[in-house]
Amino acid sequence: MAKYAMILNYKNCINCKACEVACKEENGIELGAKAHRIWVGTYDIEGKYPLLSIPSSTFYPSQCQHCANAPCEEVCPTHATYYDKNGVVQIDAQKCILCSYCMVACPYDARYVDTRTMSVDKCNFCSDTRLARGLKTTACQATCPTKVRLFGDMDDPNSEVSHILRTKEHFTLKAGIGTEPRLFYIK
Amino acid sequence: MLNHLIPHKTITLRSVFDFEKTPFNLFMALTTLLLLAAFAAGFVHYLMHGHHAYGVTREHPWGLLIAMYIFFVVSSTGLCIISSLGHVFHIKSFEFIGKRAIFGAIITIVSGFAVIGLEIGHPVRMVIYNTLSPGFSSAIWGMGVLYSVYLFLIILEFIFLSRDDHKWSRIFGLGGLLVGIAAHSNLGAVFGFLIGRPMANGVFYPVYFILSAMITGCYLLFLMYGYKYKMVFNDEMQKFLMHLGRLLGLLIAILVFFEFWRFLTAIYGNFPERAETALHILGSFNFWVGEVLLGMAIPFVIILYSKAKALKAMIYASISGMIGIFFMRYDLVHDTLVYPMQTMKIKEYQLAPSWIEYMPTMTEWAVAFGGIGICLALYYVGENFFFLDPHQDDAYFQNYRDEE
Repeated sequence: MAKYAMILNYKNCINCKACEVACKEENGIELGAKAHRIWVGTYDIEGKYPLLSIPSSTFYPSQCQHCANAPCEEVCPTHATYYDKNGVVQIDAQKCILCSYCMVACPYDARYVDTRTMSVDKCNFCSDTRLARGLKTTACQATCPTKVRLFGDMDDPNSEVSHILRTKEHFTLKAGIGTEPRLFYIK
Repeated sequence: MLNHLIPHKTITLRSVFDFEKTPFNLFMALTTLLLLAAFAAGFVHYLMHGHHAYGVTREHPWGLLIAMYIFFVVSSTGLCIISSLGHVFHIKSFEFIGKRAIFGAIITIVSGFAVIGLEIGHPVRMVIYNTLSPGFSSAIWGMGVLYSVYLFLIILEFIFLSRDDHKWSRIFGLGGLLVGIAAHSNLGAVFGFLIGRPMANGVFYPVYFILSAMITGCYLLFLMYGYKYKMVFNDEMQKFLMHLGRLLGLLIAILVFFEFWRFLTAIYGNFPERAETALHILGSFNFWVGEVLLGMAIPFVIILYSKAKALKAMIYASISGMIGIFFMRYDLVHDTLVYPMQTMKIKEYQLAPSWIEYMPTMTEWAVAFGGIGICLALYYVGENFFFLDPHQDDAYFQNYRDEE
């Protein structure tokens, strides 16, 4: 039993998109822009040269937030979306009826339709791939050249994730709507 | 055998096609056939290509078919509520509409199920896992179960109404009404529960759904009786339609009031996402022409200025009203999804930030409007097979009784 979470030191992101590629490769995600479990969000840089806003050029890598209070899990009519024993929001493709309610309910646009299984898919922290093989990192973390991502167990007080959450200021996306994401961005 | 269960007319295949060949009847027959053909074509295309045949996307996962499903179930609930004014609450002038309205409620929800059956990716799996692994916290689960119970109850209500058993018809009528309202407000809650969509989130939709259902029920009754009596009404019918018109006027006035405060509260204070979305909606053609002009203003002005006495005009205005109701259902789905979830500034993956766009494919149009064909065909069959009016108003007794 664990409580998995991910920390994103997003200011280190250089938008190389290696994480997007690694995720697709590791988890066998379909090609094309529509099918993606993770992404790097980018802003248009604000201001006019030479007075450009440097903070506006920050990149925001993101994915399923694995909310502790996940709207997608709550709205699923068949429990196809569920929490596993490690608090990861999972999808049982066999139970998914493709009503798409979870896609509408997710505040983070983290879900898409896998057109091979015709069911909704999303990030599962590499549960059925890398973690199942006994590895301790997700594909996106392992490939990141600037060490943006850190995956680990919040319940283990000695984990690096717990240490960083104790010692560094962080925030979550759309915190105001009470979804309690388990993706934490370091300030 | 069937006659023991529910009184029905004796019809032959020939008599089904033996309708009065007026230009309007022929037009309706042709329209019905074309719409049925469209549904069949859409169905075949869907079987061949699955969800790929639809224009829904990751950012806009619900589209025209969801809107059309809502259109049909709104119609069904509306007809059920208005009909209950007569045979459940005993308002005299509404009493005779019971069978026709409840039959309309049955066929509209059946048409809605036909459309949603082609929208849900795995309808068979839905039946299995809705039962074996029910998600009680899901509004879609609640809605599905309640609408199934509702359909069962209104079928029983129709059977007992047809048998002139007013004790049981009233019991099932009340049951159908209560479960129908529960189901329909639950459908509103499907949208109202969306915490990530500030424009939809909240109490508005569950309440609005019941109100707009009643308005839809009034429009449909105007159309059904206008067609049935070819715009020539006896005193009883005039009295009923006038009462219906006044009720409709009141309901539209309440709707305008609701919408006014909905938009003002959405915009006031510039609440993130919600205010921008509300202003975006207020800048759209669909809202002003579809919803406001066709769906509310034209019928309301006619009712107001004629004091609900311009019955013919109201029947034509009900066509405009139903087109407006379609826009309301379409916009309900689109407006909920129009704001991108990664804010208006951020580029997600390779997608540029913008308002989410959606265009239904030909398959979606064919299935959605084909659903109206199913509804019209079932109505025609029902008109010929069941007794939808009190006996004294049914031409069957005048034309065929003697032959029996």
